[in-house]
Parts: sequence; C-alpha cells; structure tokens
Amino acid sequence: MSDTEHQEDSHGSLVINNKKLLMWLFLGSDCMFFGTLISTHLIYRKLYPESYDPLLVFDLELTSFSTFILLMSSFLMALAVSAMHKGELKSFRRNTIGVIFFGLIFLACQVYEFAHFTNEGLTLSTNTFGSTFYMMTGTHGVHVAIGIFWLLCLYFYSYTGKMDAHESAVDVEVAGLYWHFVDIVWIIIFTAVYLIEYIPGLH
Amino acid sequence: MTDTEYTPLPVAPQSHKDAETERYHTFVNLALVLAAITGVELVLVYMPFHPIFIFTSLLALSLFKFVAVVAWFMHLIYDKLILTLAFGTGMIIATGTFVALGFLLSRKWVDLDAITQF
Repeated sequence: MSDTEHQEDSHGSLVINNKKLLMWLFLGSDCMFFGTLISTHLIYRKLYPESYDPLLVFDLELTSFSTFILLMSSFLMALAVSAMHKGELKSFRRNTIGVIFFGLIFLACQVYEFAHFTNEGLTLSTNTFGSTFYMMTGTHGVHVAIGIFWLLCLYFYSYTGKMDAHESAVDVEVAGLYWHFVDIVWIIIFTAVYLIEYIPGLH
Repeated sequence: MTDTEYTPLPVAPQSHKDAETERYHTFVNLALVLAAITGVELVLVYMPFHPIFIFTSLLALSLFKFVAVVAWFMHLIYDKLILTLAFGTGMIIATGTFVALGFLLSRKWVDLDAITQF
C-alpha cells in the first residue's frame, strides 16, 4: 500500500467514512450555491449603487454580536465532536445544548433584523438590494434552522441508549461539519455584505 | 429522562484521549483569536485609514477566519487529502463563478439594460 492509503483520518481511521465524504461533497456543492447568491448580491450592488443605502437600516453592532455568537457556537460544536470521540456523553450533551442555544440567539437576531428592515420599508420586492439581501441571508437562516433541528435530534437521540461509540461519533462529526459550514458562510456574508458598506468612498 | 437510562459509551484509548485533549487547547486558542479578529474588523471600518487598506485588511481577516474554521474546527488538516479536494473543488467553482460574473458584468460592451429587463 502507498503512503496515501496508510494515511489516517482525524481520528485514527484508515478508511474514509462514506458519511463524511458525502457531507464534504455536499458542502462543496453548497459552496457553489452560496457563491452564486453572494455574487448576485454584490454584482447588483455594484451595478445599481444608488438603488438603496443599506446604512439607513444596518446595525453593525447587532450583526457583529450575531457573528460572535455563531463563532462561539462553532467552538462549542468542535468541543461536542471531541467529547463524542472521547466517549464523554455528558460533555457532548452540554456542548450540544450550548450550540443549539447560540444558534437560536443567532436566529432571533436575524428575525429582529428582518422585522426592523421591513418596518423601515425594505422588503423582498422593494428593489434589487432587498431581493438579493433577503434571498441570501434568508437562505443562510434556513440552513441555521436545519442545523438546530439536526442537533436537537442528536441531543434527544443520546438519551435513547442506542448511541454506538464509532458510528454515533461519525454522525456527530458530520452534523458538526454542517454547522461549521454555516459559520464560514456567515463569515463571508458579514464581510462582503455588511462591513464593506461602512468603508467610506468604496461605492 | 436521566443519565441512568443509557449504556455509557466505551472508553476511548488513552492516546486517542490525549490527542483530543491537545486539540481542545487548539480550539480554545482559535476561538479566542476568532473573537479578537471579529472585534478588530468592527473597529477597522471606523478607522480613518485609506479605503483600499481597510478593504484589503477586511478581506485578509475574513479569509483567515474562513481558513482557520475549515482547517481546525472542521478537522480538514487532520483528515485525508481527498476531503480537501472535494471541498476545494466546490470552492474553486464558486470563486470562479464570482470572478467570471464580476468580469462579465463590468464590461462596457455588455448591454446591461437588455439583460436586466428579464
């Protein structure tokens, strides 16, 4: 066997787990999906800079707080995966419930933000900015909601006594990959959609 | 439901646990760095620097955060190369789409009004 075939994965396994490979392929395809949504928003923003001034509605402190919350949820998710690989079920539960809690805070912030924008007159059909902004951040929000539901399922499943040391650790790791992906997409959105609007003279 | 209703998971080997403990410290350090970078980004946009400098810095910081989460939190640096290739392919196509669209729609010879009428 070659060196490549002997190469171990992150937790000592010599073979590639099908679930993990499938999740990475899905995340690669989801990259293309979000890449298109973010591209569309930025290109329309560049083509029609006068269509809307987002600084009228943006609240950078709130968005920074959301970003911080999502980053910390990613940290807890990494700890939950690590706990599962060590066979520490209580630690897994504690960290997972933390991730779910932080995810819900993020969603609450997004709902508040959307409600605020709508009250200020920016809706999905107001202009190209509203269409592309809601489409992109809304899709991300749906991903977060799916992630929360997935983690809740794993959390309750951990009480059934059916968790297998190896397979369940892989299941948690796959859910973790999804959650981290949601985080990295937000890292890009935070910079590309929110922060650059505050740079004077860029548009 | 109580903890007594499930069978505890088998104890992982000591070497495995040591590796996970080492990673724990990496995760804590990384979380602190990511939080600090987010703070720097927030402050940076209000600083009286040249717009190009701010833009480039924000781009670099966000790229660092992206790569750090993928590499350490998602374990990609500890995992097999094929997983990096699976994800990297999607990333390359996504970036290519962005660059191509940006290039195409910035050309003066493209009739934007005709396109956007649809």
